[in-house]
Amino acid sequence: MSESQDDKWGIAHVYASFNNTIITITDQTGAETLAKSSGGTVVKQNRDEASPYAAMQMAEVVAEEAKAQNVEGVHVRVRGPGGNQQKSPGPGAQATIRALARAGLEIGRIEDVTPIPHDGTRGPKNAGF
Amino acid sequence: MRVAVTGTPGTGKTTATDLLASDPDFDLDVVHLNDVIKSEGFDEGTDEDRGSVIADLDAVAGWLEGRDDLLFESHLAHNFEADRVVVLRAHPDTVVERLRERGDGDAKAYENAESEALDVVLSEAVETHGLDSVYEIDTTEQSPEDVAAAIAAVVAGEREPSAGEVTYIEWL
Ligand SMILES: Nc1ncnc2c1ncn2[C@@H]1O[C@H](COP(=O)(O)OP(=O)(O)O)[C@@H](O)[C@H]1O
Ligand SMILES: [Mg+2]
Repeated sequence: MSESQDDKWGIAHVYASFNNTIITITDQTGAETLAKSSGGTVVKQNRDEASPYAAMQMAEVVAEEAKAQNVEGVHVRVRGPGGNQQKSPGPGAQATIRALARAGLEIGRIEDVTPIPHDGTRGPKNAGF
Repeated sequence: MRVAVTGTPGTGKTTATDLLASDPDFDLDVVHLNDVIKSEGFDEGTDEDRGSVIADLDAVAGWLEGRDDLLFESHLAHNFEADRVVVLRAHPDTVVERLRERGDGDAKAYENAESEALDVVLSEAVETHGLDSVYEIDTTEQSPEDVAAAIAAVVAGEREPSAGEVTYIEWL
C-alpha cells in the first residue's frame, strides 16, 4: 500500500433529515472533518433545505474543498429518511452522490446506515414504504 | 375516530397516553401496541443486535381492523390506518437522558437519539399519512400532563396539523 499524498480517500457522510441535509467529508477514520456544508447555507427558503437542488449545491462545495485537500475519492455513508416525503435514502442523497461524482470525486462504497428506532420491537426493513 | 401516537422511543408516548387512559373525560380506548405485539406474538423474527422483535405489521393491522374509538401508541403506530397521527418529539439529548433513566443501555439510547435527530419517525409518518394528518408535539420542555393535554387537544380538533417545525439535526 503506497498511497501518495495525492490520492487519499475520504468518507462523505450524508445526513438527510425531514428539513435539511448536511454533508461532511472526513478522513478515512472519520476523526478529521475536511469539509462540511448544510442545506441552510445554500438555499434561502427553510423548506428547500432538504431538496435535491440544495443537496447538489452542497455537494459541489464540499467536493471542491475536499479536492483542494488532495481527496481523490470518497466512500459514502447515507443516514436519514432523505427529506420531505422522499423515500429512504431519498433523491436528496442520490442527487448528492451524483453531484460528488460530477465534481470529480471518485465514488467508492455506498452504505445506508440510517438508524432504526427500536424499543423491544422494531419495524421490518422498508416497512410499508 | 382512530388516533395514532408515534414518536422515537423516549419521547414520552407511554407516559402521556397512560395519563389519558386514566382520565375519565378521555373517550378513546388507549392501546399500547408494543404490548400487543409481544403478548400476541406478532413478530416475524428477532433483531439480536438490538434486542428487539421484528414486528409483523400485517398481523398488527389485522388486529386493529374493525376497532374504533381508539388511540394506539407505539414508535410503529404511524404504520397503521388512523384519522390523525400525533408525532411526539424530544431533543436527542433528552431522549438519551430519559432512556438511560428508564434503564436502557447506551447503544439503544444513542441509536434512538440519532433517529430523532434525523426525523426518521416524522418522515415516515408524513410519507404514509400526508401533511394534513400529522400533528407534531415537542415534549422537550413539557411535563407528561402537558403532553397528555396536547394529545387530547389533537383528538378534540383544537390543534392544526404541523410537521418539521422542530429540527435537531445540528445535534449530529
Ligand atoms: N414529558 C416528560 N418529561 C420528563 N420525563 C418524561 C416525560 N415523558 C416521559 N418521561 C420519562 O421518560 C422515560 C421514557 O418515557 P416513555 O413514556 O416510556 O417514552 P416512550 O413510550 O415514548 O418510549 C420514562 O422514564 C418517563 O418517566
Ligand atoms: Mg413506550
